[in-house]
Amino acid sequence: MRQIIVIAVNTFREAVRNRIFTSLIIFSILMMLLTLAVSSASLNEEVRLMKDIGLFLTSTFSALICIFVGVNLVYKEIERKTIYTILPKPIHRWQFLLGKYLGTAATMSVQVVVMGLVLAGLFHTMNEPFGLVMVQALWLVFIEVLVVGSVALFFSSFSTPFLSGMLTLGIFVVGRFSDTLANLRLRPQSPADDPETLERISAVVRAMSAVLPDLGKYNVTPNVVYDKFLSGEVVLWSTVEGVTYAALLLILASFLLSRRDFV
Amino acid sequence: MSTGPILSVEGLMKTFHLGFLGALPFLGRLAASLQVKGVAQRVEAVRGISFAVEPGEVFGLVGPNGAGKTTTIKMLMGLIRPSGGSGTVLGHPLGHRAARNRLGYLPEQPYFYEYLKPREFLDFYGGLFPMTARERRARAEKLIDRVGLRHAVDRPIRRFSKGMVQRIGIAQALINDPDLVVLDEPMSGLDPIGRKEVRDLVLELRGQGKTVFFSSHILQDVEQLCDRVAIIARGRIHVAGKLSELLVDEDHPVEIVATEVPEAARAFVEAMCDRVAVAHGATRFHLRSVKDRDAAVAHLVQSGARLTALTSQRRSLEDLFVEQAGRA
Repeated sequence: MRQIIVIAVNTFREAVRNRIFTSLIIFSILMMLLTLAVSSASLNEEVRLMKDIGLFLTSTFSALICIFVGVNLVYKEIERKTIYTILPKPIHRWQFLLGKYLGTAATMSVQVVVMGLVLAGLFHTMNEPFGLVMVQALWLVFIEVLVVGSVALFFSSFSTPFLSGMLTLGIFVVGRFSDTLANLRLRPQSPADDPETLERISAVVRAMSAVLPDLGKYNVTPNVVYDKFLSGEVVLWSTVEGVTYAALLLILASFLLSRRDFV
Repeated sequence: MSTGPILSVEGLMKTFHLGFLGALPFLGRLAASLQVKGVAQRVEAVRGISFAVEPGEVFGLVGPNGAGKTTTIKMLMGLIRPSGGSGTVLGHPLGHRAARNRLGYLPEQPYFYEYLKPREFLDFYGGLFPMTARERRARAEKLIDRVGLRHAVDRPIRRFSKGMVQRIGIAQALINDPDLVVLDEPMSGLDPIGRKEVRDLVLELRGQGKTVFFSSHILQDVEQLCDRVAIIARGRIHVAGKLSELLVDEDHPVEIVATEVPEAARAFVEAMCDRVAVAHGATRFHLRSVKDRDAAVAHLVQSGARLTALTSQRRSLEDLFVEQAGRA
């Protein structure tokens, strides 16, 4: 366990000392402040807009930063050969991977908390209470980030950062619409459309949505906008589902890493 | 503690499958067996090598670039899975975690987390071993002094020179006070002072009873440091053994330099020589064989000639290396 913590702490330290990461956080805060300007320009809708855009920016920026950090996690260690000095130490490869993941999770928790604090500040300026549902929403944003991070780490364990980034970004976007895809039924729009082909395409898309993470459930903006509390059960099950998905991907990534040669 | 070799390999082999899936050997093998385009290409980096390293000795794995030295070391460290053969390190199979507790390793041209300062850096690596925080701190301080980086303790590694990076790399390899230290090209890219520092360190480790296994193509260093060497070329070990035995040449040439040599004596000794050269009043006799040395010297002395130098043209590691690498 100690080796995992040592790797995690080092990963966290590397991220917070990385100027790109700091710049991304500052950029996302600036974007968040922009929402204040945008929302204040809309009559009677400023609070709703601020919640809507604020949460969208928090989740999107957190996921994008996580993809940026995640896809480089293992690749950079190999590229810079730092992994050559770590794996010959008495550490399992899965411990290394888990440590890297937990370090990234800790880094992303800082990102989500900072964004949350900025949002809380904005709420305060509008005399709007920062309620429990907002905390629930931010928690689910963090869980979504954990899932996206595990996808990035999975691809990073055997692919280049660019390819991993593209694939993770694709899964992130598709995952956001997983609910829609799960119920996809393409209908012929013209006599030239073959119903069987359309059904086959629909079936493939539905099958994909069953494998890909359902990230839509971590977006609870409507609840925040209309101050509708989420039941503890919903939050708990979303958390369990997200953590399980991430754990499965980490197991898969660990398997691939354990079979890998570090040439 | 076992009295057998501290490290041994038997028929160790590594075949790489090139292409996208090459890094994952099981997929590479599968793709190769299915003749999948792009991954069917194979490179035999190490072709069944065997050697053993005894406790307390300095063992050098010598070979030209691309000979298979680094691949061999990475297999010993568990970074690369052998395609065949077997081996033990500190009494455990290759890559076994228990062995890694007593092992120190410095890779070739190492890169480290450049945002860390020496104390953080050594504490990080120490944290990967079952060491208490106090042990880690004490060991780090000792090693910082030992590798001469006390003046740079407040500097992140990104501001280190190449020699300093190599020194902090050696420090991380020694953080756990290992029984076996494996150094891959430790002198590579270092200036003469840096090379001497590494040489001194290796000798100090041997003095402490540690076993040192290192690869190099800088033969001068190998000759100065190693008790035994193995010469590897194109993935095969061509010769292995004690340097003192490998470099023995029963018939090596000898050079005698003498002045005031009488003509008769010159003619007598010349018959034993490959060539004779006269310059600045001195005659240089290049004897074909050491066997004629005593007779030549005795004859020259008796004839009244003055001997000014006697040089044994002993076989060097370079001669052996060129000979063996050339045969590969």
